[in-house]
Amino acid sequence: MNALLQKVYDFVDERIDLKTLEAKMMKEPIKGGSRWAYVFGSVLLFIFIMQAVTGVLLMFYYIPSADHAYASTQFIIHEVDYGWFILSYHFWGSSAMVVMVFAHMSQVFLWGAYKTPREMIWLVGLALFGIVMAFGFTGYLLPWDQRAYWATTVGVEIMDKTPVVGDFLARFLKGGPTPGQMTLSRFFVIHVMVLPGALMGLAGLHLFLFRSAGPAGPFRGTPEELKAKTDFFFPRQVWKDIVAMAAVFLTICSLALIEPVVLLEEAKPDPGDYHPEPEWYFLFLFQLLRWKIFAGEFGQFLGATAIPAAFMLLLAALPFIDRSPERNIFKRPIALLSWTVVMIGILVLTVSAIINREFLD
Amino acid sequence: MSHPATAISSVKLAWALSWAAFWTGFPFKVIVALLLLAAQVHPWEGTGLITLLMVSAPIDIWALGLTARTFFLERMGIEVRGPVGIGLWWQGAVLGAGMLGVAYYAVGTTAALCKKAAEATLGVVKKVIPIPVAEQITIELLMWAVPATIVLIMCLLIWLKLFGWRIKRFVVASGQTSSAGLQERVREWDAWRVPADSVLMLISFTAVAVLLTVAFWVLLPVTTPHRHPDYPPPQADAVKKKVKPEELLKKTEGTLAKAEAVLGSLEEEKAKEKKGKPKGK
Repeated sequence: MNALLQKVYDFVDERIDLKTLEAKMMKEPIKGGSRWAYVFGSVLLFIFIMQAVTGVLLMFYYIPSADHAYASTQFIIHEVDYGWFILSYHFWGSSAMVVMVFAHMSQVFLWGAYKTPREMIWLVGLALFGIVMAFGFTGYLLPWDQRAYWATTVGVEIMDKTPVVGDFLARFLKGGPTPGQMTLSRFFVIHVMVLPGALMGLAGLHLFLFRSAGPAGPFRGTPEELKAKTDFFFPRQVWKDIVAMAAVFLTICSLALIEPVVLLEEAKPDPGDYHPEPEWYFLFLFQLLRWKIFAGEFGQFLGATAIPAAFMLLLAALPFIDRSPERNIFKRPIALLSWTVVMIGILVLTVSAIINREFLD
Repeated sequence: MSHPATAISSVKLAWALSWAAFWTGFPFKVIVALLLLAAQVHPWEGTGLITLLMVSAPIDIWALGLTARTFFLERMGIEVRGPVGIGLWWQGAVLGAGMLGVAYYAVGTTAALCKKAAEATLGVVKKVIPIPVAEQITIELLMWAVPATIVLIMCLLIWLKLFGWRIKRFVVASGQTSSAGLQERVREWDAWRVPADSVLMLISFTAVAVLLTVAFWVLLPVTTPHRHPDYPPPQADAVKKKVKPEELLKKTEGTLAKAEAVLGSLEEEKAKEKKGKPKGK
């Protein structure tokens, strides 16, 4: 068996220089040794692959038409063998992707890994963050129930408030005065064609830039200490990555079993008793927009567009503003305080939105 | 010369060990929880909870032993004789159980008191300045959640302090500093934790993963356990009902005969009506 495997290996190696590829992939030096803090990127890639696999399985049965989207999703849940589990995994996988993107960005921010010479990795990472959010937004409409329909209506209305391009974007996405067949078709195509392509391209670029610049390493320790602890990607980091992927996979499976996807009524232009709200990771923004300070045309523009856009611009400009070589987070009080305030703010507003939902119900 | 264990704070020591041990044991516990969930047994109540706790104890003992030995050797240069995991775990568990009860009461009481205080305060403020609902919810949340979180963190710190103190006592009693050949021992211990035969490790890992996957799919319900009201489960009786061709034929023939009779009577009636009508009209 081993001899046969060796022959296959040699055959491939002769043609594509497998040994050099293997050496490049596995013998990547990691400054300061392997860390659990480095697993987020690999875990994100794993979640994306699983989303692609479960997404393809769902597409075997899903029909992207306003007449059949709801019924086909119900068919997946109630008639297709294990369909309910695959759909629930896909649903929770999207949330896991958002959580992991936040974790990855936080780690890079706190470890000062966006600083020179890694500015481009950070910028591409921000674009990937936008794509992950867009995945969640477009995928939410596809089941075509009341929750999907009204979350999309709220989301598109928020988008509409963007100056210059807002109106065009909203009309382009809706394809008519109210969400309908055109909206569903467009969201479906963006979700299964445009975004996966963009994500694969940008993730490839992200990895290429990462391999070119090399890992930033820990923010503590002298160059000599880090050199002494330097290790290869295989086996320690690979092992840590595998364990983290397994833990995330098992967690998503558990969530799919604890809280499987249950559809509401089929989408209709009358919300009835349902209080429209977006996905949980947009809830903080939704709750912020309920504040009186953000009432009115200008207030809505400020809360829904100006502040988030300014925040994203600030993140994009971060490596160019923060030129100090200091990476230790405990010696960067403004960075630490800002991150803490943003995280607590998001948490408090999200919980407030949940309490507000109970209040409305 | 002071013992290396005294150089580190109790809180830091307990945090380093328990944090690492938690994540070491976590994937194994999730596997058990997942298999229970697939078998429709809730791991947070009844049999499921008992099973999970029974399985979690040895996992925690192993994980704590592994992480503690590593920490003692690599950070303190101490080797500990005897079983480390069980020696530390029971102390952490007893302290944890006690502190969990205290925390439950303290956090609950703080939250309840602060909620009342927030309600009363906002009631007074609202008489002077109107506060919209969304803002009121966030203010109220902050007014009770911040003190409750502080109390929770304090309880956690007390537990860490006590557990750290017990860990230090344990290390001083059972550990011995090994100056000669320490680097060699660290290297040996490190090498022991990395599989020497990576291929064999990968094959074993895959085999276990395949086995667990099969068990999972066998246990997993084929159809959803949460059915929509518009999609009632298929009626078992209706599916089981057998078709008897002779009976079905007789029934159909009867229906056809009845239909023929009705048709005949209708035709007769029509013919009578035609005869009864005067010509030319």
